[in-house]
Amino acid sequence: MVLNAESTALETKHLGFTISPHEECGVEEAVRLIESGGGESVVLTLGPQEAVEQLRDAMALGIDRAIHLQTDGREADGQATAAAIAEAIRADESASGPFDLIFFGSESADAGGYQIGIRVAYALGRPCVTGLKGLKVEGSTVSCEQDAGGGRDVYAVPLPAVVTVKEGLNLPRYPSVPGRMRSARKPVATSTPSPPQRRLELTRLAIPGGQGRKTVVLGSGPAAALAVVEVLRKIGIL
Amino acid sequence: MPVLVLMEEGDPSLQMLTLAREFGGPLHSVRIDAVDPFAPDALAAILQRAADDLGASAVVAAGSDRGNDVMARLAARLDLPLAANCIAATPGNPVAVTRRRWGGSLLEEALMHSELPLITVAPHTIPITEGTPPVEVDVKPYLAGLGASDLVVQVKEHVAPSSGGVSLAEAKVVVSGGRGVGSKEGFAIIEELALLLGARVGCSRVVTSAGWRPHSDQVGQTGTKISPDLYVACGISGATQHMAGCKGAKRILAINADAEAPIMSLADYAVVGDLKEIVPAISAEIRKSR
Amino acid sequence: MSALALAVALLVAGGLFARRGLMLFRIVRAAKPSDRSGEMPQRARAEAVVVVGQSKLLQRLGPGLMHAVIFWGFLVLLPTIVIAMIGAVDPHATLPWLGPQGWYAALVDAFALLVLAGVLAAFFIRKVQRPGRFKGSHLGEADLILVWISGIVVSLLLWHSSQIALGLNDYPRESAPVSNLISHALSGTWVAVLERVAVWAHVLLILGFLVYLPYSKHLHILVAAINVFFTRTRARGRLEPVDFEKPEAEVRLGAATASDLTWKQVLDTMSCTECGRCQDVCPAYTTGKELSPKLLIMALRDQVRAQSDKPLVPNAVTDNVVWDCVTCGACIQECPVGIEHIDHIVDLRRNLVMLESRFPEEAGTMLRDVDRASNPWGKAPSDRTSWAEGLGVRVLQPGEPPPEVLFWVGCAPAFDERAKQGARSTAKLLLGAGVDFAILGPREACTGDPARRMGDEYTFQRLARDNVRTLNDSKVTKIVTTCPHCFNTIGNEYADFGGRYEVVHHTEFLAQLVREGKLQPAAGERTITYHDSCYLARHNDVIGAPRELAAASGKTVEMARHGKRTFCCGAGGARMWMEERGRPINEERVREAAATGADTLAVGCPFCTVMLDDGVRNSGAKLQVIDLASLLSEAVERKKAQQ
Repeated sequence: MVLNAESTALETKHLGFTISPHEECGVEEAVRLIESGGGESVVLTLGPQEAVEQLRDAMALGIDRAIHLQTDGREADGQATAAAIAEAIRADESASGPFDLIFFGSESADAGGYQIGIRVAYALGRPCVTGLKGLKVEGSTVSCEQDAGGGRDVYAVPLPAVVTVKEGLNLPRYPSVPGRMRSARKPVATSTPSPPQRRLELTRLAIPGGQGRKTVVLGSGPAAALAVVEVLRKIGIL
Repeated sequence: MPVLVLMEEGDPSLQMLTLAREFGGPLHSVRIDAVDPFAPDALAAILQRAADDLGASAVVAAGSDRGNDVMARLAARLDLPLAANCIAATPGNPVAVTRRRWGGSLLEEALMHSELPLITVAPHTIPITEGTPPVEVDVKPYLAGLGASDLVVQVKEHVAPSSGGVSLAEAKVVVSGGRGVGSKEGFAIIEELALLLGARVGCSRVVTSAGWRPHSDQVGQTGTKISPDLYVACGISGATQHMAGCKGAKRILAINADAEAPIMSLADYAVVGDLKEIVPAISAEIRKSR
Repeated sequence: MSALALAVALLVAGGLFARRGLMLFRIVRAAKPSDRSGEMPQRARAEAVVVVGQSKLLQRLGPGLMHAVIFWGFLVLLPTIVIAMIGAVDPHATLPWLGPQGWYAALVDAFALLVLAGVLAAFFIRKVQRPGRFKGSHLGEADLILVWISGIVVSLLLWHSSQIALGLNDYPRESAPVSNLISHALSGTWVAVLERVAVWAHVLLILGFLVYLPYSKHLHILVAAINVFFTRTRARGRLEPVDFEKPEAEVRLGAATASDLTWKQVLDTMSCTECGRCQDVCPAYTTGKELSPKLLIMALRDQVRAQSDKPLVPNAVTDNVVWDCVTCGACIQECPVGIEHIDHIVDLRRNLVMLESRFPEEAGTMLRDVDRASNPWGKAPSDRTSWAEGLGVRVLQPGEPPPEVLFWVGCAPAFDERAKQGARSTAKLLLGAGVDFAILGPREACTGDPARRMGDEYTFQRLARDNVRTLNDSKVTKIVTTCPHCFNTIGNEYADFGGRYEVVHHTEFLAQLVREGKLQPAAGERTITYHDSCYLARHNDVIGAPRELAAASGKTVEMARHGKRTFCCGAGGARMWMEERGRPINEERVREAAATGADTLAVGCPFCTVMLDDGVRNSGAKLQVIDLASLLSEAVERKKAQQ
């Protein structure tokens, strides 16, 4: 990990960007649902100009069109992001009709805030089930499965609903070249949301000490068993 | 001013209390099983009213899946910021928090501008400290006040894992054996340790080819990619293809007679020596400590 | 009468041959394009050496000689076809000038015998020795052809002998010793009948053969020479790029059906003689995988002949067959008729990957990582310099003046623990020799080789263009690399995307430094066997320089399969990132290395390093796998210590 000069963001000069793995599973699930049941799918993101690439990647998997809420690249906190997304969804629904299902990733791979999907659901007044590993639409309800205590917890909520999904829900397809070529021609609607309030305000990023993991040798031979058990306890396995 | 906490079974909630105590006031708790079966919106409603009645200065929970779920809904209800997965918090106005990003590879320092700080604490990052346990809040009046909309999202049933035991891909702990185990019978000590850790048994390709274990136990670049919290690799050298299958593991403990084996520099923890002696010793130590 | 009969026979045979031949020719004409232009001198040379000189066949001496005499005999005996036809019409007439030549009669006799000896040898090989390479071939067809050839030669000899017996020979009888000998046994009225029967049998057998030709694998006698002419001459490791600029409907994403194959691929299928030499040397087949290059080409040939529009995968070959290939090129090296099997496999892969997204799951992870992180390990580009920690290697920044030579590190040494050694040793040696070099550091991206070999041409071309831009902007002209795959891709394939550089493998560069005295090694006690990397030795002819380095470091001993006949480590064709079924290729190679009695297994490739090291660990062999740069480094230190 390399930080920029002000330590306010990752140095992205040599990095490529990608969709978070949880969100990618959400995209794949949406594509599968439309493939089997018909309908239209839309992908939306809040981010700088470069984020269009991820929208194109999603459309290469089969999403029909995209909405890009373009920002200046600075981070917005969970509330501001959710508010902008909810507003954009309301606008699209008044133009093109309501969404039966809205997918979010369980948490973003970077900030890990866990809250965007839930906030949007509350703003839209729809039920939200989180962290899904299984999902089945049955008529006007959706049956959802979460990993819990060695097995699965099952929920059932009526549509329209909001779900946040986890990697493992499905295996996202590898985009075909014709899919990628088609994606370049699919429409992207761009708008600029109003500048956000910052109530959870990032001041600084830091790389935790002990990075560049060095292997801790706990000992040799059976005498090391005690040290092993201590570690197991410390990391919460025992 | 009192601090409201959401309590679950297990160490992460106890660890969370350490941070909650930073806020100074007496601790009051709502248990997550106050609504049974689990209904996160209902719990958020209860927490909201309890915090209001208590005049709480903060609401804190462990950053487990359920903890984050409930707290995010509370934050949405109140339209207040939520700082999830914190490892530190300094009360004040604004509250200064330190959060984990990228699964812990990066730390974020932030200021929370909020009249009621909402915080979840990253599991296994803060030690449990001595202190007065929280006073349980009487939730009965709140339960009575729940509406139908609060119970739309509620667990309808719990499905036990299908073939007696969670699959290799889902297992939280995997104990794996490689060429160093030596034989089919040699896996007895691996199975013993796995049992004690509530883990699944895995193996490397060499073992499957030798016919000591079935292919369904193989960890590698096949579809059984694993991402356990802990991967214990016994007598496995760490070939690139094998490591690719377990690179999702949060932590790796390697036990190998060869200190130069590739896995020994890729693992988080290593023990050098004969696994036939070390693994039973670990099992014995675990039994002793119970 | 006879003239009429001959005319009819010629017309019928010619007509049947032409009809079938035309159909095959049309298939070739309708096939997709392939650029095989230019290189005329090299192509002519290949014709002379491979076809006329039978060089590929003679790689196996016994069977090679057997075929060579039959082939050369065929060439020598060609005019006898015309002579026989003339003689069938008029027993007194012959071909002007050549017919009466005594030396020609002598040649005919000699080669007739040689051909028969060759056929006998062929039967011995097929019926007594029964080599495994014939498994899956149509043996009955081969037997028929051999018998037919014998029939043609025997009838020719009988005709000549009976002509001599009847005094009809136009050449002195002594100049045809065999025919002369036989003729002494022929006397009586029936000899005249024999003479007619023999010549007509000869003519009809030949015409019959002509008709049979385009229905059998013996078609190779017409097609193989053409096929060899059009094989790659230089840059053998270069794959033909896909043109994505075409209108979407015209972009050829590899081959889904027989009609998607290029004309060269169609010719390949028509040239195959089912000899099985490719099968014999294929690392996948040898270790029990499904893939047999021979059976692959035969299966494609069946689809081409039937002009089928069924998907080639799985109707001709299964998915496993397509993915088993390590693109080592051993099959191409052995093939006497110029078949380029890798093109077929990569085209099948291109279609499976780019159109159907159908490939081994674990390889998908690698493709995603290459696409997003620009390296198959999925690690951060900023980590690309950690291998060089503490060495003081210059990292070239944008806008800086270029070094004399750019050290292209590649992904393996940057991200794989065991592969780092070779790069570190190389850097230390270059620094020690005072070479003006630099690395690109985080600006390096994967050359795209694994994506390309997997068939993901789209991702490959994106990476290629990005890298070419970086390299061209930096104005470097000379590149040295430790990885043969980078060496092949940048050196042979980047020219298609505007990147032309002088690319040298680190063993070549270091060997040159040793020759110039800038590095001075002292050989030690190790017994070293050097493993030739496929992409170095076979695809790119780099064979001598690594051996110079090995010899400078210790005692050397060769494995049987070395140089251009080297045996793959198993990582090529993107198989490094795929799960292997069956016996592991790397362990097979390690066994071969251990059998030489060496204690050191020298390599010149970071992938070979990892694969063979795994092979050593898994098989318990007593070998140390070490890069030639590290061996040289050791030798240089040894010399310094001695002084």
